[in-house]
Amino acid sequence: MNEQRQNTTEKKVKKFTIKMQKKLVVFFMIILLAFAGLSIVMICLVNRNNAEYQKQILSQQKYDSMVIPYRRGDIVDAKGIVLATSEKVYNLIIDAKVMNTVNTKNEKPYLEPTLDALGRYFNLNMVEIRTHVTTNTTAPYYVAERQLTYDQISDFKAAQLEDTNIKGVWFEEEYKRRYPNGSMAADAIGFTTSDGQGSYGLEEYYNDILNGTNGREYGYLNEDLNLERTVKPAVDGYTIHSTIDSNMQMIAEKYIRKFMEEHKDMVREGNGAENVGCIVMDVNTGEVKAMASAPGFDLNEPREYDALLGCKMVEQVTNANGYYEIKKNGLVINQEVLKSMNSEQKLLNLNNLWKNFCITNTYEPGSVAKPFTVAAALEKGTVTPGTTFECNGSLEIGGYKIRCHNGNEGTMTLESAVAKSCNVSMMKIAQTLGNQNFCEYQSIFNFGLKTNVDLAGEARTNTLIYSPDSMGPTDLATNSFGQNFNITMIQGIAGFCSLINGGYYYEPHLVNKITNANGATVKNIEPRVLKQTVSEQTSEYIRQYCTAVVQYGTGKTARPAGYMIGGKTGTAETIDENTHKRSPNEYVVSFMGFAPADDPQIAVYVVVDRANAPRQDDAKFATRIVRGVLTEILPYMQIFMTEELTEKEMKELEELNLEITSQYKNPVAEPDTTTPIYTPDANGGTPQWLSFPIDPNTGYRVDPATGFRYDAQAGFLVEGDMSSIGIEEPVNNRLE
Amino acid sequence: MATKKMTRRKEKEETFFDYSLLFIVLFLLGFGLIMIYSASSYTAFQENGDAGHYMKKQLIAALIGLGLMGIVSRIPYHFFERFYVIGYVVSALLIPVVKTPLGVASHGARRWIRIPGLGMNLQPAEVAKLGMILFLAVMVCKFGKAIRTWKGIILFMAFSLPIALEIYLITNNMSSAIIIVGIAAVMVFVASPDYGKFILVGALGALGVALVVFLAVNSEAGSGFRMERIAAWLDPESYAQGKGFQTLQALYAIGSGGVWGKGLGQSMQKLSFLPEAQNDMIFSIICEELGLFGGICVILLFIMLLWRMMVIANNAPDLFGGMLVVGVMGHIAIQAVLNIAVVTNSIPNTGISLPFISYGGSSVMFLLIEIGLVMSVAKGIRLKDL
Repeated sequence: MNEQRQNTTEKKVKKFTIKMQKKLVVFFMIILLAFAGLSIVMICLVNRNNAEYQKQILSQQKYDSMVIPYRRGDIVDAKGIVLATSEKVYNLIIDAKVMNTVNTKNEKPYLEPTLDALGRYFNLNMVEIRTHVTTNTTAPYYVAERQLTYDQISDFKAAQLEDTNIKGVWFEEEYKRRYPNGSMAADAIGFTTSDGQGSYGLEEYYNDILNGTNGREYGYLNEDLNLERTVKPAVDGYTIHSTIDSNMQMIAEKYIRKFMEEHKDMVREGNGAENVGCIVMDVNTGEVKAMASAPGFDLNEPREYDALLGCKMVEQVTNANGYYEIKKNGLVINQEVLKSMNSEQKLLNLNNLWKNFCITNTYEPGSVAKPFTVAAALEKGTVTPGTTFECNGSLEIGGYKIRCHNGNEGTMTLESAVAKSCNVSMMKIAQTLGNQNFCEYQSIFNFGLKTNVDLAGEARTNTLIYSPDSMGPTDLATNSFGQNFNITMIQGIAGFCSLINGGYYYEPHLVNKITNANGATVKNIEPRVLKQTVSEQTSEYIRQYCTAVVQYGTGKTARPAGYMIGGKTGTAETIDENTHKRSPNEYVVSFMGFAPADDPQIAVYVVVDRANAPRQDDAKFATRIVRGVLTEILPYMQIFMTEELTEKEMKELEELNLEITSQYKNPVAEPDTTTPIYTPDANGGTPQWLSFPIDPNTGYRVDPATGFRYDAQAGFLVEGDMSSIGIEEPVNNRLE
Repeated sequence: MATKKMTRRKEKEETFFDYSLLFIVLFLLGFGLIMIYSASSYTAFQENGDAGHYMKKQLIAALIGLGLMGIVSRIPYHFFERFYVIGYVVSALLIPVVKTPLGVASHGARRWIRIPGLGMNLQPAEVAKLGMILFLAVMVCKFGKAIRTWKGIILFMAFSLPIALEIYLITNNMSSAIIIVGIAAVMVFVASPDYGKFILVGALGALGVALVVFLAVNSEAGSGFRMERIAAWLDPESYAQGKGFQTLQALYAIGSGGVWGKGLGQSMQKLSFLPEAQNDMIFSIICEELGLFGGICVILLFIMLLWRMMVIANNAPDLFGGMLVVGVMGHIAIQAVLNIAVVTNSIPNTGISLPFISYGGSSVMFLLIEIGLVMSVAKGIRLKDL
């Protein structure tokens, strides 16, 4: 059948001949050879270069190891209110290379839509951006705008999702430090630099705890030469829980601000005082509840130069010993001066502003040191509560006649010596102690030593006090009433708390708990008793004497309506840094108080450094602030009033709108402020001030010879309990 | 060999259909689609937001091509014989169209024509290859014994030159020009029973190539685009950032794949490192992902495909059918060998796609039409032979 068909095939048709078939086979063989050759080439290639090319390929990959930023921990106050926090912000990055991508039709499909969207959703200089994108077509990283919030970028992101032609823009994440309360507790909290490092205050002291560890996303080659992508997450920083109570802090700042505003430009251009500091401390734990100072600054804008306005300008000078020194140059910074300052001067002045007055500045404490002198003597047994001293106006020691500002006061008990702030009595007490004991107690009260408060920048004061060997009789005498040695505010209040709480010296601190990012407690910081400074018995005497200060002594004006408190005023002369002599009219006034008087819970220390007032030596600058602070803090602490209210006080409190006053509906008579309180001396003589007539306008007794005004009842000088020792009198060389 | 085949075929069914050929082609197409998807998904997503962009376009072209193949295979191939002049003229006329507004440029070259209304692009070089195969198959029949002479060979080869020159000069596409000339050479080699002339020409050609390489090596840089390609071929690492980049990346891909490869889809070179990964360089991605094993399997598939064509040609009912199959076989063989040779840096880099596998709609459609012709010839085998 097959053959049949073959026969029927037309013979005319040209056949694909056997020769052709053979040649086709030859061609096929040639192709086979070619394929075999290529296979051998491939096998050689793999054999020879396998490992090398694998590495080559992996090395070509971009292992963009990306940093994942950590979040710096928060700072929260005692009630959990956020004082400092970190917010995620976004840097707008333009990738010109992606934006200029060319598609198969040789067009740039992303360029215009992306530029268009950028212009629409961001407030950018589009001319500049367009120039950048079109000139640097391969630049992958250009920061167009920094630190945008999520709200600012969310519209653009939504547009990006809708239009796939918006390409070449991405957002780099980082964290920005934010202080919700602005300038509140600025000195205590401190701020962070742009690279996330703390400057000043808690931010600097707890920098390592607040900071976490950056995470990283990266690729690496494992032992099989495979690429592994690994994300090592960031470890966020710990949150620190401060003992600062925002409410108390705001109250303290309110009264400081009030003072500063009242005294602004009063006698000279500038702030109400060079510095005002206020520390509120829990007497029984050493926890700082508020730490405020003026002038302040905004933590969110620490480099805002306007904060300098009103401050005295400082400059760096080289002193006689060849050391750099920061000195005031007498100018007050106003708009014009600010304009003339160069950036170096501005920075120097900002640094000066950023310092925390409460822990960094030292000053002569003045009469607030008197309770310490009395306590030391009681402890050493060189005086007893029954001991009395004769004050006849002055005491001659080491060739100097050191005066008591109140003049001849007659016989003083320990209580009245403290209450009326008698210098002569203090000098006599110090003499009973002697150099050795006095210096020993200074160190027991931690003067000359750091308190180790958990804030950056605490001043060293070890060179600013005397040692027993270097101390002369006049030094001892002036030290007894707080002149010629320097302390910091934190030293003062920490020591004072120990005097009144039974003798327990607590390490002052501002942080009591550290938690991690999930809220778990990492560390509790318990109050730490460092030492017992005085006995419970001595402490009780000091409380009694300090209460007397407020009851009838120099601190009457510090008493808040409805409460009995204790405390001690101080008016210290300063040393003129240019003449190195006592300045005749520059004073640091202070009041150190505690409440309630019988069971101290809270201590307040206010220092007003060189008030802008006609006469700076008025302790009322400080007592009024303390009074205001306590008036609001005590009800807030749920401490009940114990004292009757007068009509005036009721009215005053009603103005403050404090509900707690409602329990006192029936006002009592105004207290008697004119019946003299004094202790006659041994001869039955009366103090000189009793003979002065009372001025009907002010209610003060006025010395017709000098014009000095005296309190009509207690006879102390109205202008303050000056611990004055006169211009020509000795000055501690170690002090400025 | 041929007699053996015939005895085997006698035992089979009456209508012959070469299923082996069909399945090899279908397998190559399917495998090609998978590899296009693997090689292009990353860049496709980057550029178009759709990882399957290239794969889908290729799938459509392949389906159209399969349809055309089916139609062509059902038409007796002698039907096409009468179109040989028209085919030649159309090829010659279509090529200059790329210079008209209908022309489309892509990848820096203007080689495509937009077909109005269809939204597709056509590469006239692919049309020319098909036209050339048809034209030369007819010519072999017409030449008869004249093809044995030098004059005949030269005249035969001369038919391919106008088209090849057109492609080279107008579309600047040297590889397609080489393929056109190559198809003519294969056909004349098979048609002419002589060996001596071809060995002589082959030897002269080899000498010429050696001379060009020698000149390229000794001439200073800057002596032109193609000379630099030769230099890059000899030492790709010295031209790693320029002409040698693509070759070097392809070598890295093949070398790093090892014997068994990194696994399907695991190529790293396709992540924007290897230009044209889904196109001319797809063989290196196959080697990277499937290893030497995968690469050699592909080669074996091509050998099987060519072997099937050789069998069909050798049993073709007449000279015309046989020469048609030889032309197609030559086309596929040259293209596959040259593509793999380029990828393995055995010859200088020139843009040749791997038949059925590389991305390229026109290429796959016309290749399938050519396969349709082969099937048509195969169908005629027994009816004519018996």
